[in-house]
Amino acid sequence: MKTVLVIGGGVTGLKTASELAEMGYNVSLVEKEDYLGGQVVRHKYYKLAPDLRLAGDVIDPVIKAVESNSNIKVHKHSHVVSVSGSAPEFKAKIKNSKGETEETFGAIVVATGFDHFDPTVKQEYGYGRFKDVVTNSEVEEMLNPNGPTKGELKRPSDGKVPKKIAIFQCVGSRDRQVGNPYCCRVGCVVSTKQAIEIKEKYPDSEVYVYYMDMRMFGRGWEELYGKAMEEYEVIFTRGRGAEVTLKNQQLSLRAEETIMDRPIQHSVDMIILAAGMAAGDGTIEAAKVLGIKQNDYGFLAPKDDFLSPNESSKSGIYIAGADKGPMDIENCIVEGAAVAAKVAGKLKN
Amino acid sequence: MAENTDKMVIDGVELTGIWKEFLPSRILYEDVTTEFLDEVKKLPGGSTILKCYQCGTCTGGCTLPDFVDKFNPRRFIDLVRRGHYDILVNENKDLVWKCVSCQRCTHRCPKGVNTQEVVRAIAKFLEDRKVFGKLTNDEAFDEVFMEEVIEDGRIDEVKIVKDFYSKTGRLKDMMSADQLSLGFKMLTSGRIKLFGGKIKDWKKVSQRLKEELQ
Ligand SMILES: Cc1cc2nc3c(=O)[nH]c(=O)nc-3n(C[C@H](O)[C@H](O)[C@H](O)COP(=O)(O)OP(=O)(O)OC[C@H]3O[C@@H](n4cnc5c(N)ncnc54)[C@H](O)[C@@H]3O)c2cc1C
Ligand code: SF4
Ligand code: SF4
Ligand code: SF4
Repeated sequence: MKTVLVIGGGVTGLKTASELAEMGYNVSLVEKEDYLGGQVVRHKYYKLAPDLRLAGDVIDPVIKAVESNSNIKVHKHSHVVSVSGSAPEFKAKIKNSKGETEETFGAIVVATGFDHFDPTVKQEYGYGRFKDVVTNSEVEEMLNPNGPTKGELKRPSDGKVPKKIAIFQCVGSRDRQVGNPYCCRVGCVVSTKQAIEIKEKYPDSEVYVYYMDMRMFGRGWEELYGKAMEEYEVIFTRGRGAEVTLKNQQLSLRAEETIMDRPIQHSVDMIILAAGMAAGDGTIEAAKVLGIKQNDYGFLAPKDDFLSPNESSKSGIYIAGADKGPMDIENCIVEGAAVAAKVAGKLKN
Repeated sequence: MAENTDKMVIDGVELTGIWKEFLPSRILYEDVTTEFLDEVKKLPGGSTILKCYQCGTCTGGCTLPDFVDKFNPRRFIDLVRRGHYDILVNENKDLVWKCVSCQRCTHRCPKGVNTQEVVRAIAKFLEDRKVFGKLTNDEAFDEVFMEEVIEDGRIDEVKIVKDFYSKTGRLKDMMSADQLSLGFKMLTSGRIKLFGGKIKDWKKVSQRLKEELQ
């Protein structure tokens, strides 16, 4: 029985590892951080779209399934530094602070995920310049009772709860200026979810979403959008945020209200940037070490998007989850299971 | 307008005859066509119009709306693309020209539209279609100014005033008492000269300029 190397301990890598282990394969899971769970854990996601169920209810069992399975060896704080050989026999060097080990694997699965887009480069939005312009992942952390603000939405400048909140969609996505022309695929549902969470907690607050299109294609997403408007009175304005300035110590945004054909200037207490997903440094590193193909934006490219979506450009090396491009958790779990089945089938014969 | 309101019934009330006069249709009966888009995209600077996804970032950050009501680059693009020629001419022809080329739109457009150039191209498109009819004073002055520079290489103050009044059909106004007395004062104080000098060999330059501008 061959051993499989899984790189990346986010929801995708965890699902892949536990599925393979359940089928009796040995797995080495290599994670560069000292925790498992990927972005969901790093940014302390509290509630998940679209059902607003607790993120822990989803991620904890997935982590547990890995930690409790003796077929899986977890290497935290570790990197794969070199790989030699070819399918079905790879030799990989795994390095951590204690040193380097070499192991032999029958197949490799890359599940290195994404990084949040850093909006500092979109200077007109003032992120980094104005304290109360924050990102959606910072809001995830704030809304979590175990987060830095103990579950309260607070303005970084003065610690007060904001009354008027604007959310800018598509920050660093659908944007050729920053080289990311693709859609982040989760920004719309995440902002809608955050708007609902804010209104639920602070019924007196006002939440305004500035968008170009609300892309609600996932299970239950369109329904969540309707709920945000009808039950929570979130205001959706069709116009992309153009700029943020400070007017008399207050944040002021400009955008066009395209349905009225005119620009608007809107004073608010906090602006949340729905920053999209970019190919992470970890993904780029893995692509280099393994010599597998990336697409124009740095994400990992399948051998054939339709016919072999989980195979990389190299035989015996597989890819899954958000390292292929923006993806929600539900689909990451499907990907993890699919790639496990593919690998198991391959190693059997 | 409103051909299909001949037999209009709303809430059981038939709104024909005189009532119809009070209820003009709100539907746009426009001969929409992509013909205009086709023209604009071929003009210098017009090609990126096809990239626009109507996000409004340009208008949201544009310098002009604070000063010029209804100036809206996103909408100009939209009207051209949808072929709403009448709305473009009737409501926007005097606006399009006012762009100050600050380039904020182009620098921020997330889609790679060269918005400022496209706005210019739309203005050129309108000019080519001669929608401006009677010139405004500003435009007439600009034209006279340019003609004179091309012809003589310099501005002759008296001539330009005369040509300006003649172009705007107001030669009579120029001969009014207060205009004449103002002119006399400026002449005696040396502000203006009766005859401007000539620039040597300008004829050749002028010829080349005219060829270039053809
Ligand atoms: C603000 C925000 C909110 C979101 N909320 C929701 C939601 O409510 N519902 C939903 O369905 N989806 C949501 N998502 C999407 C969700 O975050 C992703 O679907 C999910 O995290 C992707 O999982 P993954 O395992 O593929 O990648 P990741 O979560 O990025 O995990 C990848 C892991 O690999 C590790 N790694 C990377 N490179 C290496 C390397 N070279 N070596 C070793 N380890 C490496 C990383 O440290 C990380 O632990 C949200 C996204 C954002 C941006
Ligand atoms: S998912 Fe929404 S926020 Fe993200 S890029 Fe697409 S349209 Fe924009
Ligand atoms: S910013 Fe660009 S894409 Fe957006 S409306 Fe203006 S020209 Fe179109
Ligand atoms: S270049 Fe013209 S259209 Fe563009 S922002 Fe400046 S004034 Fe507005």
